[in-house]
Amino acid sequence: MNDPSTRFRWVLLLASLVTIGYLVAAALRENFLAEWYTLQKEYRQLLQSKASDDQGRALARDFRIELKQVSVPQLKAVDRCVSCHNGIDDPRMTGVRQPHAVHPGDILKNHPADRYGCTICHQGQGVATSFRDAKGDDVSWDYPLLTRELTQSSCLACHDVERLPRQQVALVLEGKKLFDEKSCASCHKLGGRGGTLGLALDNEGAKTRHQLIMVNLKPPYTTWRWHQAHFRDPGGVVAGSQMKNPTVTEHEALALTAFMLSLRQRDVPESYLAPDKIEQKARALHPQPLSGERLYRNYCFACHGDGTYGRWDTTFRRFIPAVRGPSLLATADPAYLEAQIALGRPGTQMPAWDARAGGLQPDEVKALVAYLGKSGGILSGKTGIFDRFAQNDNAPVLARGDANRGAALFIQNCAGCHGVAGHGGVAPELANPTFQQAASDAFIVTTIRNGRRGTAMPSFQPRVPGARSLSDAEIADLLAFIRALGPAARKPQTALVPNDLVKSGGSR
Amino acid sequence: MASTATRPDRTTATQEFLHNLRLLPRTLKDAWFRIGHTPESEREVSQATFHNLFLHIHSVRVHVRTLAPAFTLGLGLISAASFVVLCITGVLLMVYYKPSTTLAYDSIKDLHYVVFTGRFMRNIHRWSAHVMVVAVFLHMARVFYTGSYKKPREFNWLVGLALLVLTLALSFTGYLLPYDQLAYWATTIGANIANSPRELTDAIGISTWFDPGGFQKRLLLGANFVGEDSLIRFYVLHVFVLPVLLIMLLGVHFWRIRKDGGLARPEEPMGGPAEWGGSMKRVFEPLATKTYGLMALVKGRRPTVNRGPENTVMSWPHLFWAELAVFMLTVAICLILSFYSDAPLKELANPAVPENPAKAPWYFLGLQELVSYSAFMGGLLIPLIAWVGLALIPFLDRRPGGEGVWFGTPGERRVAWQSLLFGLLTSVGMLAFTVNFGWLRNWFPRIHQLWIIAINPGSILVLLYAGWSLLVLKRKDSVRLAAVALFTCFLIGFTVLTYFATIHRGPNWQFYWWPSQWPVH
Repeated sequence: MNDPSTRFRWVLLLASLVTIGYLVAAALRENFLAEWYTLQKEYRQLLQSKASDDQGRALARDFRIELKQVSVPQLKAVDRCVSCHNGIDDPRMTGVRQPHAVHPGDILKNHPADRYGCTICHQGQGVATSFRDAKGDDVSWDYPLLTRELTQSSCLACHDVERLPRQQVALVLEGKKLFDEKSCASCHKLGGRGGTLGLALDNEGAKTRHQLIMVNLKPPYTTWRWHQAHFRDPGGVVAGSQMKNPTVTEHEALALTAFMLSLRQRDVPESYLAPDKIEQKARALHPQPLSGERLYRNYCFACHGDGTYGRWDTTFRRFIPAVRGPSLLATADPAYLEAQIALGRPGTQMPAWDARAGGLQPDEVKALVAYLGKSGGILSGKTGIFDRFAQNDNAPVLARGDANRGAALFIQNCAGCHGVAGHGGVAPELANPTFQQAASDAFIVTTIRNGRRGTAMPSFQPRVPGARSLSDAEIADLLAFIRALGPAARKPQTALVPNDLVKSGGSR
Repeated sequence: MASTATRPDRTTATQEFLHNLRLLPRTLKDAWFRIGHTPESEREVSQATFHNLFLHIHSVRVHVRTLAPAFTLGLGLISAASFVVLCITGVLLMVYYKPSTTLAYDSIKDLHYVVFTGRFMRNIHRWSAHVMVVAVFLHMARVFYTGSYKKPREFNWLVGLALLVLTLALSFTGYLLPYDQLAYWATTIGANIANSPRELTDAIGISTWFDPGGFQKRLLLGANFVGEDSLIRFYVLHVFVLPVLLIMLLGVHFWRIRKDGGLARPEEPMGGPAEWGGSMKRVFEPLATKTYGLMALVKGRRPTVNRGPENTVMSWPHLFWAELAVFMLTVAICLILSFYSDAPLKELANPAVPENPAKAPWYFLGLQELVSYSAFMGGLLIPLIAWVGLALIPFLDRRPGGEGVWFGTPGERRVAWQSLLFGLLTSVGMLAFTVNFGWLRNWFPRIHQLWIIAINPGSILVLLYAGWSLLVLKRKDSVRLAAVALFTCFLIGFTVLTYFATIHRGPNWQFYWWPSQWPVH
């Protein structure tokens, strides 16, 4: 008889066999064919071969093949690295291949694995039980395993790196030094102090690869490879970047990367912090003011260079003035310079540096200005350069000028560099509110008359017979026009007291 | 002593006790199994089905067409089987899963790496969920194309539609539970689709007083954003409320199959041999020497005389072998898929780092594509129209005939092919047009949003499909064929949109030919 259910019975049999087969295969794959299983069997053989006394033999005998982990709840870590790295604390395991080898150095003496785990220093996916997943650089894991040289960037989580043995954190220290030398804080805030052209770097080490532009990199897409490439070629990694190429070698780029990775606000419980870290945190509450020279190097050097010459910047598409040029310093008074530094030049790449913006304290701004005043430049050996102004018997006659006549003169003589409406470009921006507020009439007139030695600003009253020269009346007209470019309210012609300006915090 | 009289050869109670102890295996078996051996007579075979708690929802006899694989493709059973697999693996996963935003992700990682068979169980759970969603859609298509929604099965069609919504809801609530980037942002998308009435209320400026979108979103999430409240809410829905509702409705669904007379089948020809092998004997052989005065009232279209339920076979064992086979096949397929392909798990959910592109689960991606044109249309109105349209089918097409057979009405196959082509061309054409030329806001940047709500690729497609269906209605003079046209367009449109949004939409919802071209971020 034609049994209608024959074909179903065959399908049932087949499907059941397939099911059982795959269940068995899955069980095998998970337990006996797993990476860690094979490795632990190898390790047991190693233990047996290296056993030379009773203790060694007992260790080999009692070694169980099972998943192992170190659980550190205070660090929110469950690290299963020890399922494959069984020999990290066995001093006999030298000269054996990884992952059986003992942990290098004597780090584990002060950082025993059962109290610290592994991922607090090495990162990586601690919960994983296969090497590919643990490395985490091509799976979905935020913090992949750090390379050997970069592991030291984790030390900052609990330590003050300045107090650690130098050779253990050499790369991070070098990176920190380079950060100051290359004047990175001119554009990037760190610790609340710095410029605004770039991103703040306080938590740079916590960034994941999804927060960085990886388009121009090749895999593996890790944050440190990004940093290394970015330091070597900012514009090539981030299209349209305004960052100047810091011109570093591969090694220096690595050092800076280590420093970047160390900038990470970690939530480490207090019991894990080293005493030197706690002291560092206490010191940070009352920071020592830096010297003027250090300030200049950290916050001004990147754009202004050594400050003795003005230049046209192709990335900014703007003129960067010579702030340590003696010609400027001969005519500017300290109040003017402090105002320029404290308030910046809004609308240009020069940021404000006062306590609320760039993070410099008032006495630091003063120290910076004093440093500027001390600079030699072309005319070296000059001291008390600011006194010059007070005794300047070339004090101009500030008669009232006609702004309309001044407009014509401005177009003819000034607009070529300073722009038609004084918005700068090749030369400084005269319409800038900070300039208008802080510069005195005398400063402007003296500059027009005498020019700026060492820059492209000529003297318009040169004492050379036969040369073109503007009369005092014409200069007064120009002054009136220049003042008309700025905000209507103009301060009276006394030198502005610096504290006033800093306290008012940039009224624009 | 009176008891001595009832013990034939026994003299003492002790011997009686020992005798009963020796016979324990047999008496236990006799107590448990009423028949106690493989059923032989037809009566015993009936009782195997009829007297069994779990089996007696089946009828004792089934029509042979029920067992024909090419008829149902076993899709209903596959849906039910995958649901059973989901329940079993789900309970296993519940032992280790912790529904808290701080613990969920880590518990999934532990399931994957440490728990015995955890990785496998999680994969099976994920894959059988996909299988279930696909199977219910295909099952709906099968029921439609075989006309099995017609009288008296209209109500079961409605129950099926409710089950469809429950299936999608179960899948959606489960999607959030791992609380990784994928889960978090897909739920955000889903919640914002729930918020889609906002587009309309914003456009007419009444949102401050009447905000059903915001209400729906907050009801769904338990807060204004995906977080701790949403997770526990979704968990309760996913493991208790929705499964209970689904099981109840599933019970109704199966019961209705019984009460509606079994699976739909075509008219029985009068007389003629059974379909499966002419050698099957007639179910009811009237004996010449007997007179039969038994009359039974059965649901049917014409009276039959001197006939039993022909072309039927006993459920035990044939139907149950068939069901077991389909169950096991479903399980086997889920296992194979799970062995080779891991369920995805991205980084821990991070509200500060959105996925780009943030995509809803795949069965909602067609919807997300429509939502990208207009939130209200794509998120609310079009799904509502589609669902109500589906629900109305059995009430608009009431002409009997053609049920129980694929493309039973004459001309149906042809209309289906034509509609497939039409639906394909219009949906692909619409997508190509928007990718190349943009839409209203690209050409008229300042027009009112109401224009875009009214006129967008989604609403245009709906109108085109409706127009095509009305054309078929007029020209073929058949409601059924019009329904076939509309249903086919809907199916193909859904498939094309889902495929398109899965493969060809990348970061910022821009068009890309392949995912490998997406800019790395």
